[in-house]
Amino acid sequence: MASKQESRLCALTFFAKLHPGDVCGSNGLPLTPNSIAILGRAQKLKDLQDEHLCQYLDVIRGKHERTIVVSEFMGLSLEDYAKRQHPLALGQILRIFYQVVRGIDVLSRHHLVAHNLEPKHILISRDGRQVKLFNYGLHHMTKGGCYVPFPIGNIRYMAPERVLGLNGNIKSDVWALALLVVELIFQIELWPKLKLSNVIRKILAFGRSNGVLEKIAREHQCYDRYTALDKELRQLLESCLHVLPKKRPLPGELLKHPLFEAIASEMSKENELLESLEKDPVPLLMRCPLSQIYHLWQLAGGDVQAELKKEGLIRSEAPILGLPQIVRLSGVSVCPGRSQAQLMDDRVVPLRLQALLQRLSRLPANVYFPLLHSPRFPAQNARELQALPLVIREKDIEYQFQRVRLFTRLLQGHPHTAEQLQREALVDVPPLLRGPIWAALLEVVPNGSYWKIDKYTATSTDRQIEVDIPRCHQYDELLSSPDGHRKLRRLLKAWVTAHPQYVYWQGLDSLTAPFLYLNFNNEELAFLSLFKFIPKYLQWFFLKDNSAVIKEYLSKFSQLTAFHEPLLAQHLASISFIPELFAIPWFLTMFSHVFPLHKILHLWDKLMLGDSSYPLFIGIAILRQLRSTLLSSGFNECILLFSDLPDIVMEGCVLESQKMYEATPKSITHRQHALRLHTVHDLDIGVDDVELKHLQQEQCPRISAKDVLHLLLNNPSELALVDLRSIVEYGRVHVPHSINIPFATVQLGEQRLEALPVPQLEAQLRGRIVVCVSNIHQHSVEFSHFLVACGIPRTCILHKGFNVLHSIEPNILISN
Amino acid sequence: MATSPRTGGASGAGTAQRPNGTSQNKSCQFKLVLLGESAVGKSSLVLRFVKGQFHEYQESTIGAAFLTQTICIEDTVVKFEIWDTAGQERYHSLAPMYYRGAQAAIVVYDIQNQDSFQRAKTWVKELHKQASPNIVIALAGNKADLSNIRVVEFDEAKQYAEENGLLFMETSAKTGMNVNDIFLAIAKKLPKNDGANNQGTSIRPNGNETNRPTNNCCK
Repeated sequence: MASKQESRLCALTFFAKLHPGDVCGSNGLPLTPNSIAILGRAQKLKDLQDEHLCQYLDVIRGKHERTIVVSEFMGLSLEDYAKRQHPLALGQILRIFYQVVRGIDVLSRHHLVAHNLEPKHILISRDGRQVKLFNYGLHHMTKGGCYVPFPIGNIRYMAPERVLGLNGNIKSDVWALALLVVELIFQIELWPKLKLSNVIRKILAFGRSNGVLEKIAREHQCYDRYTALDKELRQLLESCLHVLPKKRPLPGELLKHPLFEAIASEMSKENELLESLEKDPVPLLMRCPLSQIYHLWQLAGGDVQAELKKEGLIRSEAPILGLPQIVRLSGVSVCPGRSQAQLMDDRVVPLRLQALLQRLSRLPANVYFPLLHSPRFPAQNARELQALPLVIREKDIEYQFQRVRLFTRLLQGHPHTAEQLQREALVDVPPLLRGPIWAALLEVVPNGSYWKIDKYTATSTDRQIEVDIPRCHQYDELLSSPDGHRKLRRLLKAWVTAHPQYVYWQGLDSLTAPFLYLNFNNEELAFLSLFKFIPKYLQWFFLKDNSAVIKEYLSKFSQLTAFHEPLLAQHLASISFIPELFAIPWFLTMFSHVFPLHKILHLWDKLMLGDSSYPLFIGIAILRQLRSTLLSSGFNECILLFSDLPDIVMEGCVLESQKMYEATPKSITHRQHALRLHTVHDLDIGVDDVELKHLQQEQCPRISAKDVLHLLLNNPSELALVDLRSIVEYGRVHVPHSINIPFATVQLGEQRLEALPVPQLEAQLRGRIVVCVSNIHQHSVEFSHFLVACGIPRTCILHKGFNVLHSIEPNILISN
Repeated sequence: MATSPRTGGASGAGTAQRPNGTSQNKSCQFKLVLLGESAVGKSSLVLRFVKGQFHEYQESTIGAAFLTQTICIEDTVVKFEIWDTAGQERYHSLAPMYYRGAQAAIVVYDIQNQDSFQRAKTWVKELHKQASPNIVIALAGNKADLSNIRVVEFDEAKQYAEENGLLFMETSAKTGMNVNDIFLAIAKKLPKNDGANNQGTSIRPNGNETNRPTNNCCK
C-alpha cells in the first residue's frame, strides 16, 4: 500500500522513423506510419500488470511521428538512488537484483524482452523496499527498434550476442542485469571513460575470455572485492555473465536459486509486518486502478503534450524552417537537417496528481467503493446530473468517477449484478469501461473457447477478408495499425470457422470493428461479444442465401416507417425510394458501415439494451431527422443524401429511436426470422403466420390480440379501435369504446378523413395506436392504407381479425 | 461550351428542349452501372469522376452506392446516374436490380489481379445475356499506376475487348488517368436521340423529379 501512495504517472517521448517520402507498399496503399505501428504494438503492454513492472497507460501520437508514452512512475531511478545511498548494502543490492529478476521473469512469460535494462530504467520506492522495471516495453513497441531511428538499450550493458545483432533473447537481459548488479557490488561504473567503439571492442573481447566477472574486476581494479565475494553469489553472477546465452540461467531458474529463496521469504515476512503497522492512510483515489486514475486525470484537463511542452521536451519551430531547400524533378527533396528539437531526449516528465486528488477528496468513501446491496444505494448524489446531455456527462469528472467506480463494482459482481448493470447502462455507459460493459450486456462469459478456434488455416474467404481489412475504419489509429489488421483478421476468420452455417459477407468487418476497438487487448472478449451480438440482432443475416431474411427485414422496416411516419413513408413509396436501395448497409452492419466509430459507440450503447427490433427504430429515427429534406426531394436527391450520409445528430437519433421503441407494441415488430426468446402464446402472432408476401402487400403492420388486450386493460387512452364490420354485427358484439366505421359505407377514393361519416374522427385517432379490425382481412388492409394516406400515424391491423377477440378470457366484448 | 446551368422546372425525361432559347442543347440521362470483383477500384473510379477525389482507404461498398455526374459533349448535356455496386460475389443477387435497364456499364478489373480479370469476363457474359441488348459496355483495367507489377497484359485485355465489342481503357483512379476519358467515350457511344432516355429501370420506374441545376460541365 505504501508503494501505491507515491506511485504517479509520467510521460516520455521519442520520434518514430519517418518513411522516406510518399512511398507506397506493394499493394499500392501508402505505408503505415511507424508511429501508428508503434501505437498498435504498444497496446499489449497496457495489459501487463505486475508489482515489479511499471504499468503502461497510454501511447499518444503527436505531430511528425512523435510518440508519447504514458507510464506509471515511482520513487527514484536506481541511478539516482545509488548516488544518494552510496554505497548500497549487499542485502539491499540483492533485493534489487531479486525484484528485477521477478520483473523480467514476467516479461519472459509474456514473450517479451526488455533489452534496455540500465540504472535509469529501474525504479526504487523512496523507502527502498519496492523495485519496478520502467520503460521496459520500448523494444517490443518499436519492434526491436525497427520503427525508431535510435538503438534500443545502453551499449554498456549489452550482451555480446546483441552487439552481434542477435536480439529477442531474454538471456540478454539476464546479462545486463548481472552487469548492473556487478557495478553496484563493486561500486564501480563500467568503462566510464571509454569511447563507444572501445566499449564495443571490450564487450566483443569477452568472447575470448572464460571469466567475464573476473576480467571486469581486474580491469576496474577491484580484484580483491571479487575474491572476497560470497562464493554462491559469485557463481550466480558468473553464470549470468556466461558468454554463451544458452549457458545463462533463465529468469525463472534464477528465482529458484537458494540465494533468492532466502530473500523472498525475508521480504514477504517484512511486508506482512509493515502492512500491519501501516498508519498513514492512503488517499482513496490511490486505491483505484491506475488506468482509472489516468482517465480521470485526463478528464480533469490533464494534457500530456502540454506537460511535455512545459518541460521543453516538445518545442515548436517555425514551419518555414522545415521546408525543403531543393526539390528535384524526381520528387526527392533536400531538407534542412533535423533540428535539435527532434533529437532523442529520454527525460521523464512527471504528471502531477495533486489537483485531481484535491478535486475528488470531497467525495464520500461510498462513491469510491459503492455498496451495491445497501438499502440506501439508489440515493446517489449524481441523479440530477443524469438529466444533462450525454456529452456533458461524459466530460464531467466527478460524474464519470462515480460511474466508473459503480460499473467497476457491477462488473466484478457480474453475472449476479446483471439486472442492476442493465438498469445503470440504460442511464449511460462510461466510455472507459464500455468494452466489458457491452460484453456483460450481451451475456458474454469468457471460457477460453476462442483460443481453440482455428484462425490460421487458409480458406476461400481469405482474399475477401484481406481486401476488406485495409478499408475498414482506417481513420482510426488502432484499427489501421498492423496489429489492428492482424487482430481483425483473426477475429473474422475465427467467426467464420465457428459458424459453418454462415458465410463472410462484406460488412462483417465493419460489424466487428467496434468490438475490436473497445477490446483491443482482449480478443476473446471482442470475439464473444460479436458471437452473441449477431444472433441477437442479425439472426440468419449471414446465411449464404440471406435474401428471404433481408427482404423480410426491409419490408418490416417499410411497415414501421408507415407506422411512425405515414406521410414520409407515403412519399418515399411514391418515388420508389425503397429500402433495398439504401438500407442494406444500415442493417447488415448495424450502422457500423455508415457512421464513424465515435457515433457507433453511442448508438450501440442503446442498441445493446433493446431487442432485435431496436435497429429498425434507429433507421426510422434517421429518416425522421432528414424528414423535411426527404419530403421535398425526388428520387435522385434522396438516394444521393444517403450515399453520402449527412451529419446525423446521434443523440437526437438515439432519443427518438428509444421513444419509438418503447411506444411500439412488441407484436408490431414481429418477424419470422428474428431470434425468439419466448414461447408463442395463443394470442400472439404465430411464427410463420405472416409471410413475406403479406408484409409486402400490407403497408401497415399487424398487431396481436395479446397486445390489443394489454392496451385495452392498461392504457385504454392509448388505443383507438376502428371496427370495420357492419352496424348489425357491431350491435351484436363489440369492444367497448371502439369506433364503428362499416367498410361498406366508406369511399376510399378521397384521401381525407372528413370524407368519412364519423364526426371528429381525427381527434379520436390522433396520438393513439389505431387498430383496424374486421372479419374480412382485406377490408382492414385497405382501410389502413387509407389512414396512412391521410397521414394518421401508428395505424395497424388486428392479426386474425375480429373473431380472435372472442377467444379472449375473461370476455372483453359487450353488446348494445 | 454549354456551361450554363440548367434551371430546374422542366420535368420528365429531360430530352425536352428548353423552352427558353438554348434549343441546340439536348440533354440526356443515362443509367450507368459499375461491376467487378471487390477491391478493384469501382468506387474509387466513380469518386474520381464525380468529385475529382481519391481516398487511399476507400471503404468497401455494401449493397450499392448512387452518384450522379453531368458532362457536356458537343451540344449535348449528358447526365450519368451511376450505380456503384458491391464487388463481393455474395452480393451478386442484387446486381440485376442495378444493371437491368442500364444503358451503360463499366466492368472493372485490377491489372494486378488475374482473378479479377476472369471475373470481369463473367460479368460481360452476364450483361450480354441479361442486360438490355443495346447496353454500352466498357472494360476498365484499373490501378494502371501500378503497371510495373501488372499481371494482366494490356494487349490481352484489349484483344478480349475487341472480340466482345467493348470499349477498353486502362485507368487509374489514383492518378486520374483515363477516368474522365472512359466516361466520355461511353457518353459518345450512347445514342442521344429521344429513345435513349427511356427510364426502363426497375429501380426508378418514374423519372418525374425536377432536374437539379448542373454545375459541373466539361467539354
